[in-house]
Amino acid sequence: MEAILQAFALVFDPFVLGVILASAVFGLFVGAMPGLTATMATALLVPVTFFMPPVPALAAIVTATAMAIFAGDIPGAMLRMPGTPASAAYADESYAMTRRGQLNLNMGVNLVFSVAGGLIGVAVLVLCAPLLAEVAINFSSYEYFWLACLGLTCAVFLSNADPVKGVLSLLIGLLLATVGIDPSAGVPRFTFGEVELMQGVNFVATMIGMFAISELLRNAVTVRSAGGAVVEQVGDVFRGLGPVWRRYWFNFLRGSGIGTLIGALPGAGADIAAWISYAVSKRFSREKEKFGTGHVEGVVDATAANNSALAGAWIPALVFGIPGDSITAIVIGVLYMKGMNPGPTVFLENPQFIYAVFLVFILANLLLLPLGWAAIKGARQVLRTPRELLLPVILLFCIVGSFAMTNSLYGVSLMLAMGLFGWFLEEHGIPVAPLILGLVLGEMLEQTFVQNMIKADGDWLAFFSRPIAGTLGVATLVTWALMVVRAVVGVRAPKLQVT
Amino acid sequence: MRLNDAVLGALLLGLAAWVWWMTGFFPDFPGQAYGPRLFPRILATGIALCGAVLLLRGLRERAPFLLVEDWMRDPTRLVSFLAVPGATLVYIFLSEQVGFIPIAFALLLGLFLWFRARAIVALPVAAGVTLAVHWFFAGMMRVPLPRGWLDAVL
Repeated sequence: MEAILQAFALVFDPFVLGVILASAVFGLFVGAMPGLTATMATALLVPVTFFMPPVPALAAIVTATAMAIFAGDIPGAMLRMPGTPASAAYADESYAMTRRGQLNLNMGVNLVFSVAGGLIGVAVLVLCAPLLAEVAINFSSYEYFWLACLGLTCAVFLSNADPVKGVLSLLIGLLLATVGIDPSAGVPRFTFGEVELMQGVNFVATMIGMFAISELLRNAVTVRSAGGAVVEQVGDVFRGLGPVWRRYWFNFLRGSGIGTLIGALPGAGADIAAWISYAVSKRFSREKEKFGTGHVEGVVDATAANNSALAGAWIPALVFGIPGDSITAIVIGVLYMKGMNPGPTVFLENPQFIYAVFLVFILANLLLLPLGWAAIKGARQVLRTPRELLLPVILLFCIVGSFAMTNSLYGVSLMLAMGLFGWFLEEHGIPVAPLILGLVLGEMLEQTFVQNMIKADGDWLAFFSRPIAGTLGVATLVTWALMVVRAVVGVRAPKLQVT
Repeated sequence: MRLNDAVLGALLLGLAAWVWWMTGFFPDFPGQAYGPRLFPRILATGIALCGAVLLLRGLRERAPFLLVEDWMRDPTRLVSFLAVPGATLVYIFLSEQVGFIPIAFALLLGLFLWFRARAIVALPVAAGVTLAVHWFFAGMMRVPLPRGWLDAVL
């Protein structure tokens, strides 16, 4: 109880509230700009939050991402250009609604069901995370080894990329994580005598490169030819929502449930949640033929799912230190920088921080209602922001942000190299998200692996000797077997187009 | 720009071999069977396997050695692309001597104009953003942004 009161004091501090408000505006703007993603918003925020205490730093990330995931729906409906990949699943459907003159209804549905879906995700987070933490407190290095394996496997299994290329990306990430002092013997590896590399590859600079610079490279090519966007003004978005609620309440619950679950699975985030819940909605709909023609049903499922996935992703991140998506991968990096190593012990030692994160989540989702409404009303102006000005400004933020991480040009050089490398990988259909997860989890995976090998003296069966470790181990091996079967038989998950 | 999977696979095999070779230089610890080279070697094996699959697949596909997209043949769009790493390199090489404010202003202005912003808009925005970023990072966040030419003034 005392911790909850402390959490209230931490969150309802004028500075923290100011940070929340500012990052909300930032998140809405980034989310609404096509080409700028919620992950990029987080990457750009990290250098700014670096110098803040933990609570405002986490509050900034939570708020900005919740806002960005909703705001991505706005250009999806108005221009058929999803603002973030998480809105791509139903951008066509939303745009079809707009052409049928239902832009107001679509925006209202997106806003209200995003808020409600987000709150369901938060409720699950608040209820499940502490319970899971009590279980996790008894985990040994065997359980953590399998958890890390399972998390990394899910990242590949659930992404829609070619499995070989997904695994490759993961291995490269793990390899990058071995740069620096080795965790078991203290030997410097792959440092080439560079002092800067002793601490390992700087995570934030890598991430800014992979998520922001590579995106800028893809955008730069079209800036000169892009024309200004013309969008129509939105009227009363709340009219006509009552019947939608009465008719599709089950879709809403199902979408939020699927979203939270997929978010909580390591490695898959809001974008995959939206794709899957949209597909489920269509599969079980009584009016399948209406999908794609501007039918609101699938939008309800998917817009609730992507917002609920955000909170779901924090469950494994806070409890096990295993990221649920690429945003929480960044969050884990931030937690380590703040000296709050994620894991069950945080729930015991610093429960007030955990409650503060929960509170911020609730607050951010509630704030989304008025601020999201304002964003819809202001969309005309936001979407007219000239890209020829925006792109160089983002580049400058990236440069200064990565400089601030190392206080040297090493950060900037690393960011540039990683940006070009990330662009190269994506050009070859190799996704970068597994790489980032590999980079985050690499040390934990290697440490637990080598520790277990030494403990068990090379006996593989010891990895399955404890009940939970055994279950997790078998689950991991089954997933691997499924992946091999899928690669051999050539059955792929339905092609999902991620922009 | 897209390399044939076979070429990509061959590059990965090379990377895996290099990693394996590098791990040979890590020291041994007597009586300790599992040391610093174990994990990188497992990763190298995995990368080599992926590389081999890609190599075989690429040889079967008979795709062109290097696929170049249309935008790469269009000089203006190619310059737009290169402007991003180019500007970053200019910052890396010149910021220490010139200082943050002049270099950031010049880069912003140059990029704005190249991307066809009107000069009347580009000039004040470049100046405003440079000063705002400097105020926020150097002033508020105490990041030691290089002072360069303005050392005496700041």
